[in-house]
Amino acid sequence: MNSLRRLGQYVLDSVEGLGRASLFFLEVASGARKLIRRFDLVVQQVFAVGVLTLLIILVSGLFVGMVLGLQGYNTLSKFGAADSLGLLVALSLVRELGPVVTALLFAGRAGSALTAEIGLMKATEQLAGMEMMAVNPIERVIAPRLVAGIISMPLLAALFSAIGVLGGQLVGVGLLGVDSGAFWSQMQSGVSFHEDVLNGVIKSLVFGVVVTWIAVFQGYESVPTSEGVSRATNRTVVYSSLAVLALDFVMTALMFK
Amino acid sequence: MSTTQTDPGVSGALVEIRNVHFARGERTILNDLSMTIARGKVTAIMGGSGCGKTTLLNLIGGRLRPSSGQVLVDGISVPDLGTRDLFELRKRMGMLFQNGALLTDLDVFENVAFPIREHKHLPESILRHVVLMKLETVGLRGARELMPAELSGGMARRVALARTISLEPMLVMYDEPFTGLDPISKGVIAKLIRELNTGLGITSVLVSHDVADTCAISDYAYLMGQGRIIGQGTPQEIRQSEAEEVRQFVDGLPDGPVPYRYPAPDYLEDLLQGGPA
Repeated sequence: MNSLRRLGQYVLDSVEGLGRASLFFLEVASGARKLIRRFDLVVQQVFAVGVLTLLIILVSGLFVGMVLGLQGYNTLSKFGAADSLGLLVALSLVRELGPVVTALLFAGRAGSALTAEIGLMKATEQLAGMEMMAVNPIERVIAPRLVAGIISMPLLAALFSAIGVLGGQLVGVGLLGVDSGAFWSQMQSGVSFHEDVLNGVIKSLVFGVVVTWIAVFQGYESVPTSEGVSRATNRTVVYSSLAVLALDFVMTALMFK
Repeated sequence: MSTTQTDPGVSGALVEIRNVHFARGERTILNDLSMTIARGKVTAIMGGSGCGKTTLLNLIGGRLRPSSGQVLVDGISVPDLGTRDLFELRKRMGMLFQNGALLTDLDVFENVAFPIREHKHLPESILRHVVLMKLETVGLRGARELMPAELSGGMARRVALARTISLEPMLVMYDEPFTGLDPISKGVIAKLIRELNTGLGITSVLVSHDVADTCAISDYAYLMGQGRIIGQGTPQEIRQSEAEEVRQFVDGLPDGPVPYRYPAPDYLEDLLQGGPA
C-alpha cells in the first residue's frame, strides 16, 4: 500500500513539476520579447553557451565522422557499394548523429554550466538582489540564456555534421581508397536539402529549446545549497539526455517515411 | 505587546505593518505583528535567528505576501501591487543582503552601475560620475576595477551598499549588515548606515541580532521573538527593560523564555529505550 502511495505521490510531483516548468517557459518566452532592445545580452550568452562549446563539438564531430567512415566502409564494401560511403556518412550525420550527439554534448557542457551558474546565482542571493533592484531575473538572466541556447544548437549541429563529413572523407578517401569523385557526387545526389538537411535543422532547434529549457528551469528551481545545485546539475544532464533521445525517436518517426 | 503602536514624536510613518500573519506550511512565522517604521529614522529590528526578521523584510519588499494583514510602504499596499507597480516601488527602496549579493561576473564599477544602466538611460560620462560618487561615499572609489571575488567581506558589503543607494532610494533595508565582519568593518558599516541616514535622509530598517552595534546607531528598536514583538522603544529603553524575554536577549542568557533545549522526550526513557534512534 505504501509503495502504491509513493508511486502516486511521484506521479503527482512529476505532473506538478511539468506544470511549473511550462508556466516558467511561458514567463521566460514573454520576457524574451524585451530582448530585441537588449540583444547584446543574447550575444554575450551565445558566446558563453555556443562559442565555448565549439571545441568539444568539433573534435567529437571529427571522430564520429571518422568512425562512420571506417564502419561504413567495412559494411558497404561487402556489398560492393563502397562508393556510397559519402552518402552514408552524410545522411547519418545530417539526419541523426549531428543533431543528437550535439544535443547530448551540449547538455553535458553548456546545459550543466547553465544550471550551475543560475543555481549559484540563486544560492548567493544574486537573483533576489536583482529582484529587489526592480530588475526581473527572468528577463535579465534566464531569457537571454534560453534564446542563446536555441540559436546556438542548430549552428553547432551544422558544424558537427560538416566536420563529420570531412572526417569521413579523411578516412574513406584518404585512408581506405574510396574514389573521391564518387564520395562527393553520391553525397550530392543522395542528400536532399528539404528532406534531410532541413529536418535535421528542425530536430536540433527542438533539442535547443528542450535542453536549454531544462537547464535554466533546473537552475532556477534548484534548492539554494551546494547539494541542491549539484543535484540540479545532475538532473539537467539526465533529463535532457533522455528527452533528446525520446524526442529524436518521435521526430524521426514523423519526418522520415 | 503586538497591538498597533506608533512611536510617539515621529511625524510620519514610511512603512506600516498592521496585524500581519505569515505562515509557511504549518509553521507560523509571523503572528499578528504590527510595526511602524518612522520616516527618516534608523529603526532596528532585533531578534534571535529564525524569529522572522528576514521574512519581515521580504514582506516589505514584496517578495512574500502575508496570509493576512496589511503592509504599507509610503501609503501603498505592497501585497496588492502587480508586478509592474511592485517594480516601480522597488526602484525607491533598496535592500542590502547579508553577503552583499554582488553579481560575480561584473567588476565593482559595473555592479554599482548595474541598477542605473537597467533603469535610467544616462550618457556614459554622467553614469561614470554617478558611480564614482557612490563609490566615494563608501570609500571604495579606488577599488572600482576589482572583481567581487577579490573583495573582503566588509568591502563587498560596502560595494553592495553603494549599489543599493545608486538609485537614491527613500528606504534601505539592511539584512544582518554586521554578521561575519571584523570590528573595523563593523564600525565602517555602522558609520555608513548612520551617515546615509542623516546625509541623504534615507529611512533605514536594520535587521540584526547584534545588540550592541545595532543599538548604537538606531533611533528606535523592536525586539522580536517567535513571530511577534516582545519589546520596543528607544535603544535606551530596550536596554533597561524589565521584561524577561527582552532581558534574556539583551543579556544573552542561554536559558529563559527561549528554552536552551530543543523539545525532546524524557531523557531517562530515551536512554533506556535502546536500539537505533
